[in-house]
Amino acid sequence: MNKDSQMRAAINQKLIEMGERERLKELLRAKLVECGWKDQMKAQCKDVIREKGLEHVTVEDLVVEITPKGRALVPDSVKKELLQRIRASLAQHSTL
Amino acid sequence: MNVVSVMSPAGCSHVNAYKVDNWRPNLRVIYQCFVWSGSAETRRRKAKSCICHMCGAHLNRLHSCLYCVFFGCFTKKHIHEHAKNKRHNLAIDLLYGGIYCFVCQDYIYDKDMEQIAKEEQRKAWKLQGVGEKYSTWEPTKRELDLLRHNPKRRKMTTNCTIGLRGLINLGNTCFMNCIVQALTHTPLLRDFFLSDRHKCEMQSNSCLVCEMSQLFQEFYSGHRSPHIPFRLLHLVWTHARHLAGYEQQDAHEFLIAALDVLHRHCKGDTTNDNGKKANNPNHCNCIIDQIFTGGLQSDVTCQVCHGVSTTIDPFWDISLDLPGSSTPFWPLSPGGDGGTVNGESHLSGATTLTDCLRRFTRPEHLGSSAKIKCGGCHSYQESTKQLTMKKLPIVACFHLKRFEHSAKLRRKITTYVSFPLELDMTPFMASRWASTNYLPPGLYVLVRYALFAVVNHQGTLESGHYTSFIRQHKDQWFKCDDAIITKASIKDVLDSEGYLLFYHKQFLEYE
Repeated sequence: MNKDSQMRAAINQKLIEMGERERLKELLRAKLVECGWKDQMKAQCKDVIREKGLEHVTVEDLVVEITPKGRALVPDSVKKELLQRIRASLAQHSTL
Repeated sequence: MNVVSVMSPAGCSHVNAYKVDNWRPNLRVIYQCFVWSGSAETRRRKAKSCICHMCGAHLNRLHSCLYCVFFGCFTKKHIHEHAKNKRHNLAIDLLYGGIYCFVCQDYIYDKDMEQIAKEEQRKAWKLQGVGEKYSTWEPTKRELDLLRHNPKRRKMTTNCTIGLRGLINLGNTCFMNCIVQALTHTPLLRDFFLSDRHKCEMQSNSCLVCEMSQLFQEFYSGHRSPHIPFRLLHLVWTHARHLAGYEQQDAHEFLIAALDVLHRHCKGDTTNDNGKKANNPNHCNCIIDQIFTGGLQSDVTCQVCHGVSTTIDPFWDISLDLPGSSTPFWPLSPGGDGGTVNGESHLSGATTLTDCLRRFTRPEHLGSSAKIKCGGCHSYQESTKQLTMKKLPIVACFHLKRFEHSAKLRRKITTYVSFPLELDMTPFMASRWASTNYLPPGLYVLVRYALFAVVNHQGTLESGHYTSFIRQHKDQWFKCDDAIITKASIKDVLDSEGYLLFYHKQFLEYE
């Protein structure tokens, strides 16, 4: 594991311990609903299901198709805000 | 391996091998420790141990084997390798708690396991202090039967006009028609009535809530001809005598009277947690209270000892004074209580709803002629009074006081007040939040409101006409002029004079 992923793992650990990860997830959920991202993703999922057929589609099909689109469609403002929040939370517990 | 398996409520057949001996408590432990960790201890353990046993990563859709202690990435197929090598064909997704079957090559939905998952999730939420969260509606057996026996469906497209219906004017009843339009387009109220939640306890036929329920059925029936609300009018005359007669009435008075009667007639629907009837008028839990009732905090501060005496009163609407009225409007700084009528003196541009709200919530010096008995000083002292919102209602109704009925004159104030499509109520809330700039994360979204209905009055005090704008399908607006419904633009709405403004909370939280 390189330095980058070490840092990532450490941050992730800290956030889970603080219980902050759950709170951040909730905040992110609210923001993604608010900006219409969730509705967009729902529509995309419906397209994939229609394409593959309801009887044969698997969760994996959806994950493979939706993930890149989902990542691309997250607004920059939401990314910025989450980043700010994470920084603020870590600054509060400055043992890192 | 190309396996086509049939999904059923009992999951796939491969789970049966797992569901033996002590499988339930074992599964619970997995959920508690590695999926939804509620307590600090389980969180610490999760943080330390939830990494892939093959590559050490904590991302990549980590899964845990259900048969042994092994964590592996899904994306890098590490868990798949483990499943193949050890013939352990079930794994659980540590992010969402889903159960994956490697034989069926898909996530499976076993009713028993889902039950456990839901319970553990709720437990974790409780431990974290989150409380209940929204979960999608799932039909009961009876509802499934009803759906099967009634195959006719109405599709709600973005352009459908279901919910829009004109109302015949029965003789100066436009004041009532506007309020009916606003109420039938209040989302929560609509959901309450369309899901048949009203259980009538009144013996006679004069229950206004039942009539309201009927009205919703009429509005969402898909009929396009205007509805004739004669029964509603009759019930209103019966229960609110002061509104009877064919004269033009005040729409705001009608709104309050209607909410009051509905609230009184909701007796059958108010229950507390024990299933007992809660008939205390101060602590009612009827749909009207749940949607419309807010709490207004009044703080009276003694100017001598600075002791604060606080009272909280329920409210259904906020009545706002306007510039040009005979009550002093400007300036906003405390101590300015000139007796003359002030216009929009130093403002360039129109007065806004926010200005009115700021004025409403500013500290007001009560003057030497209105001394309050102070509990701390034990004597009459001068004081300041301030109103703030303690509890925000789900639907906030703002009443712009355009009709002046003072001793000397009766007139209508036609000053234009600009109001926003979205309103942030933070600055007007009770001191705890207003003074600090920090809101707990995620909480600020809970004080944002969206405009969904506007009632306007055209004409003079003696002869006038009420119309309304209502919002449909998130961004479409319609003008309701008695029987005539026409499409309107957002600009039409925001440029209108505004008499009653209805705002709906954008996000709802559970108590």
